[in-house]
Amino acid sequence: MTSKFSNIFLASVLALATLLSGCDSAPAAGTNLETAKQKADQCVEPTDKMRSNHMSMLDHQRDATMIEGIRTKQHSLNECINCHVAPTKDDGTPLHYGDDQHFCTTCHAAVGQKIDCFQCHADRPAGDENYQHKVGSADAHHFTQGVVSAAMPTAAEVQMVVQPQQGAAQ
Amino acid sequence: MNQNRVDEYRRNFMTALGGVAAVAVVAPSFVLQTAHAAGEVTAKPADQAVTDAKRWGMLIDVTKLTDGGAAMVAACKKEHGWGDEAHSDATQKAHWARVVKVTDKLTQNSFSLPVMCQHCENPPCVDVCPTGASMKRADGIVQVNKHTCIGCRYCMMACPYKARSFVHEHLVDQKAHSPRGIGTVESCNMCVHRVDNGQLPACVDAAPDAVTFGDLNDPNSTLSQTLKAIGGKQIRADLGLNTGVRYHGI
Repeated sequence: MTSKFSNIFLASVLALATLLSGCDSAPAAGTNLETAKQKADQCVEPTDKMRSNHMSMLDHQRDATMIEGIRTKQHSLNECINCHVAPTKDDGTPLHYGDDQHFCTTCHAAVGQKIDCFQCHADRPAGDENYQHKVGSADAHHFTQGVVSAAMPTAAEVQMVVQPQQGAAQ
Repeated sequence: MNQNRVDEYRRNFMTALGGVAAVAVVAPSFVLQTAHAAGEVTAKPADQAVTDAKRWGMLIDVTKLTDGGAAMVAACKKEHGWGDEAHSDATQKAHWARVVKVTDKLTQNSFSLPVMCQHCENPPCVDVCPTGASMKRADGIVQVNKHTCIGCRYCMMACPYKARSFVHEHLVDQKAHSPRGIGTVESCNMCVHRVDNGQLPACVDAAPDAVTFGDLNDPNSTLSQTLKAIGGKQIRADLGLNTGVRYHGI
């Protein structure tokens, strides 16, 4: 019996891993998504922890913020959005959750996850704010640990983040 | 020639003196209420929880509001992004704050005042909420935790100030600091995101001469001192809710 259950458990873990590995597939062509993916090393937690636990961290943070007024940035949804999402698509139109270039959408689409976060929360940074934590800004590293070894951004990445988005002025 | 030079000196001296005198006249009302009040709202360390050591409140001097509070309401709209719901009719649209015109039927005396969540010490909206979404923070700010709000609108019925509204339609591009969405109730939250960062609420910034913001628990705060000096009325004081928003001149 025990072995049967462990087999089922193993199978389900494998299935989940397969689903999540879908997130590793090459992103749709677009600077927004590529930038977000390349910044995985600089994330506030290791990638595997973020993949499996980001929602519990966000849940914890939301209660702390709403009820106690704790506004640390490490597990803040606003900071996820500021770092991983650009305000516009490559063609300059607003980028929203549900578009294939939206960082959150890519994985949620692969695993068939439906979320309500963005019925209320902003799903993209305000255009005039410090979105994608422009390289060299004071906000670039707001986490408390494990960031010393963060990879330096490549020249191409710097270009991508520093230069205005194509058509953003429209 | 010499006489002219003396006149010039005299003129400069008198001009400077006049400036000093003007500042002295304006200072008691203006400087005390704005500069000091802003200084009293200090930024809370981001990783620390709010406590009940402070209780935020404000005093609105209606006699100094030349527009009846329209600028305050406009600032609130801009800060939180409400009021332009395209598919909602007039009875459905959000109203975090509104200008209410009051007329005495006997004398026809009339004035306007801004009415928003009064941040009661004993809030009826919190009493009736079935999920605990309608809540009062330790520092006295009453707000809706939209994560647990089920949109039943009991709190809208319970509030004697008509301070709450319900979002009837899908929204996009909300402000990052002020999430709001379909199926939840919302109201003034005293710009909790600004207060936590040591800023004044948007409406207070919009009418610095008329509104004093501060700590009701501290007897030495500008707010408490002003309340002591000129008094402040609660709307529907008979309900015994001990509101955090007080008015002068109503």
